[in-house]
Amino acid sequence: MTSSTSSTIDLPAPTDEPAVVVRDRRTRRRRAIGVTGALGGLTIVLFVLTMMIGETRLGPLEVVASVLGFSDSPSTDFVVRTLRLPTAVTAAAVGAALGISGLCFQKLLSNPLASPDFVGITSGASFFAITAIVLLGLSGFAVSVAALAGALLTASLIYLLAWRDGITGYRFVLIGIGVSQLFISLVGWVIVQAELFDAREAMTWLVGSAGRAGSTELPVLLGALAVLVPAVLLLSRPLGVLELGDDAARGLGVGVETARRLVLLVAVVLVALATAVAGPMAFVALIAGPIAVRLLRGTGSGLPAAALVGACVVLAADLVARQLLPVSLPTGVVTGAVGAPYLIWLLIHVNSEGRGG
Amino acid sequence: MTDPNADASAPLTREAQGHDLRAEDLTLGYDETDIVSHLDVQLPPGRITVIVGANACGKSTLLRGLARLLPARSGSVRLDGRDVTSLRSIEVAKVVGLLPQTPVAPDGITVADLVGRGRYPHQGWFRQWKPEDDQAVQAALEATGTAELAERRIAELSGGQRQRVWVAMALAQDTDLLLLDEPTTYLDINHQVELLDLLTDLNRSHGKTIVLVLHDLNLACRYADHIIAMKAGRIVREGAPSDVIDADVVTDVFGLDCDVVPDPVSGTPMVVPRGRHHVRAMTPDPELATS
Repeated sequence: MTSSTSSTIDLPAPTDEPAVVVRDRRTRRRRAIGVTGALGGLTIVLFVLTMMIGETRLGPLEVVASVLGFSDSPSTDFVVRTLRLPTAVTAAAVGAALGISGLCFQKLLSNPLASPDFVGITSGASFFAITAIVLLGLSGFAVSVAALAGALLTASLIYLLAWRDGITGYRFVLIGIGVSQLFISLVGWVIVQAELFDAREAMTWLVGSAGRAGSTELPVLLGALAVLVPAVLLLSRPLGVLELGDDAARGLGVGVETARRLVLLVAVVLVALATAVAGPMAFVALIAGPIAVRLLRGTGSGLPAAALVGACVVLAADLVARQLLPVSLPTGVVTGAVGAPYLIWLLIHVNSEGRGG
Repeated sequence: MTDPNADASAPLTREAQGHDLRAEDLTLGYDETDIVSHLDVQLPPGRITVIVGANACGKSTLLRGLARLLPARSGSVRLDGRDVTSLRSIEVAKVVGLLPQTPVAPDGITVADLVGRGRYPHQGWFRQWKPEDDQAVQAALEATGTAELAERRIAELSGGQRQRVWVAMALAQDTDLLLLDEPTTYLDINHQVELLDLLTDLNRSHGKTIVLVLHDLNLACRYADHIIAMKAGRIVREGAPSDVIDADVVTDVFGLDCDVVPDPVSGTPMVVPRGRHHVRAMTPDPELATS
């Protein structure tokens, strides 16, 4: 306590200009803008880079000109706009959706392991998609719809099972892991039933690839991002209060259940659409948020930064998967190869801090 | 008292002596068990009220009910005569602040950022950060002696500093009423006294109504204007500490055989437990003396 006299306490109108408080707030804001801007720049670089490299090599200016519609070369336009742009846009959009979704889950459930990959939403989407491919003989857009329905149904199921006078992160994660295992074994069972061709198709779907997006799914994802990203930014303030725990959030006047359901809904729809478009892209939702938060050192909500980190990760993984390896692989193999060591590190690190639960 | 046609969004009117928070026929509980049953209580405006009682007597539950963290099973919590469930929670949060028992500090957050989140009821989802928010944060930091920690990260602070920062967050909320659930639990005795002195400062200089749950009876007696002794979900006795706390009440509420003597510093009641060992035979027991 600075002083025992009551005169120093002057709550409604302090005499001094609150210099330190303003300085801290500006430092935080500068950092948030700087980091987010740098990530935005990196995303654009990777976005252009993925379109430069391939069987026909193109210069950055050719790519940019063609994307913006200034190119007068029909062959460049064909390579860029028809062949490469859809994959690049898919990679960026899927990455952004997974990044936001993952960080929403992690913040909401106060657990760095609470990514939609682990709490069963992705595996629910997978089970529905695989069932559609193998048992119903569907393909293309219908599989995406099945994946979307699967993700939404699984999220509702986990929510209902975890409900007990409210939702705690701990119960949600544990029940989610159980539900995840259930769907993973069901996926195995469905694949065992399948004809060889269908099984191959199903396994390809299960790896996740940015190059797969059909012309119908991608606009849906982009439209959803256009609506849901502003919604998430709007929700970031109540989310910042929810992070302090339910009691503190209620004390501050946040409608905890409503806010939580809205954030969950947005996060689930984003991961569902991303999975519907590109399949289950392993680990992106898990790693994007913590990387963004680490770069920001706890300033701001981290949601825009997480979206950009997600986009960078998927763009880079796509680049590596298609071009830098001797054989062309689906994107999900690369994100999985990068994500798994991170998960192991996270488990060791988190448990040493005693926050594993 | 209650106007049935009251508009839920109309601002709460402050009585001359402060906002009035009370419970009427309030029943609270978890799962199948009622913890607090049919309880009536009024928190005196502008005073410091301390709720005491044995573990599991329902004191924290009552505080949580008053802070509308728990829904009433019967009866109601009334703020300025209106049922809190009929009010928008963000409007209540401008009048009633709360420091819960175990709030969570997000990773890497700075002190000023955390305290700034206390401004939520004044901002809602849309409003931009304003200079008045900076001033409220600064005032809260100064009042709690944490201004020099503003740019530090919560994780780097000691337990005592951290607790003062949480109090600062509740102060930044700028409410007339402040409810604190065992705010001294993780503090050593020096920080306990500092925190209670701080709350007394806030009460005296701003007329804030302060309601605390405390474990330490002697500190409760010293700092409370009004003390509420609870047992098994009911109020055993309430009033000024010197009227409420005597050996019989302590024995009834805590099951503790004790003496109550005047606190040498403040003159308020001080509970000296007897226990089974180390009891000095100061005044010889007449029975022992004759045998």
